[in-house]
Amino acid sequence: MTEKVHLRTPAKLFDGNWMDAELLITDQTLSIGKKKIPVNEIEDLGDVDVEGVEAIRIKKDGETIIKPPEKIRAQVFRFLAFNLKADRFAVYYLDSATVGGVVSSGAKWEKGYFSVTDEGFWFLSPKKQQKMLFDNIGGVVKETRNIGGKQRKVLVLSKVKKGQVATSLLMCPETTLEMLENYITRLIETHKPQIDMTETEKEILTLVYSGLDFVSIENIVGISTDELNEYYDKLVENGLAEVVKVRKEIELTPRGVTMVGNASK
Amino acid sequence: MSKVLIVDDTAFMRKLLKNILFGAGFDIAGEAENGKQAVEMYKELNPDIVTMDIVMPDMSGIDALKEIKGMDKSAKVVMCTAVGQEKIVKTAIKLGAKGYIIKPFQGPKVVEEIKKVTGA
Repeated sequence: MTEKVHLRTPAKLFDGNWMDAELLITDQTLSIGKKKIPVNEIEDLGDVDVEGVEAIRIKKDGETIIKPPEKIRAQVFRFLAFNLKADRFAVYYLDSATVGGVVSSGAKWEKGYFSVTDEGFWFLSPKKQQKMLFDNIGGVVKETRNIGGKQRKVLVLSKVKKGQVATSLLMCPETTLEMLENYITRLIETHKPQIDMTETEKEILTLVYSGLDFVSIENIVGISTDELNEYYDKLVENGLAEVVKVRKEIELTPRGVTMVGNASK
Repeated sequence: MSKVLIVDDTAFMRKLLKNILFGAGFDIAGEAENGKQAVEMYKELNPDIVTMDIVMPDMSGIDALKEIKGMDKSAKVVMCTAVGQEKIVKTAIKLGAKGYIIKPFQGPKVVEEIKKVTGA
């Protein structure tokens, strides 16, 4: 049977460095350079920045990184997302119903599909292909909410979005909802960092989340600068935090002290 | 500047809130570690605003809120809640709470909410 060609375009393929290649997408295969990937066997995909180039990462027996022309990038991404090798469930989805505990006024229910891959969840609609990484999802709970004047059961997904806790709602038939709740809970548990933390480490993590600076954390926890540095190192090693700024502590030389003396006259 | 009474059964959370609020220029009127103590301290200190944890021993934040509002209808109480406690928050708002802040706390959000409620 002949394959139906959806797209044929010049594109770029990253294989250690960027090279020009023809991208051909049919109803069955994505071909670029010498690579051929059955579209319905793609395990996951995502946006990726490679050497300053915004590209698409395709996961199937390793990773393939492609850069379609900008004007059709969204179209390629949507096609691949809708063909991911994953179960799909028809749902209504309310993205970021609350952010930082505040109800989002612009949030609207959207009809689409909820899909689960190795790396996270997808919400797929013609307008939106949104991925939520397991690492960013805090939990899921079933609740009854008033939606359009009716009491309906929904799944409330809490996730971290730009450093703030956001909740999104998922609505679908009740049997699917229960199955999804169990499935998602299990997956979140599996992806939770398996790290034993002491009470102090948990406190420091909370204080960093709260936006407190180094000195305030030192004072609240009652530890020295060196001790706090060691805790920070451990959080970074465990992938729970990353270094964004290194501060310097300095001491004046005799010349510096003289300058202060002169400046104070 | 407004005086805040911080109510939480965890010393760590009290310290955290104290630090955030003091850093934003609020005066800390006092700290209570349960609802009962909060009611007593409210009478004694007459704070401008109370940050009230919900789950606490002896007397819950909801019960303390009821008592404080019973004594002072104009009391400004902000509930401290975890994600997923929306139902309790709704109850608190019906009972007269002026707002809520979500745990884990984010400094700027806490300050924003307290300023909003105090009109600072």
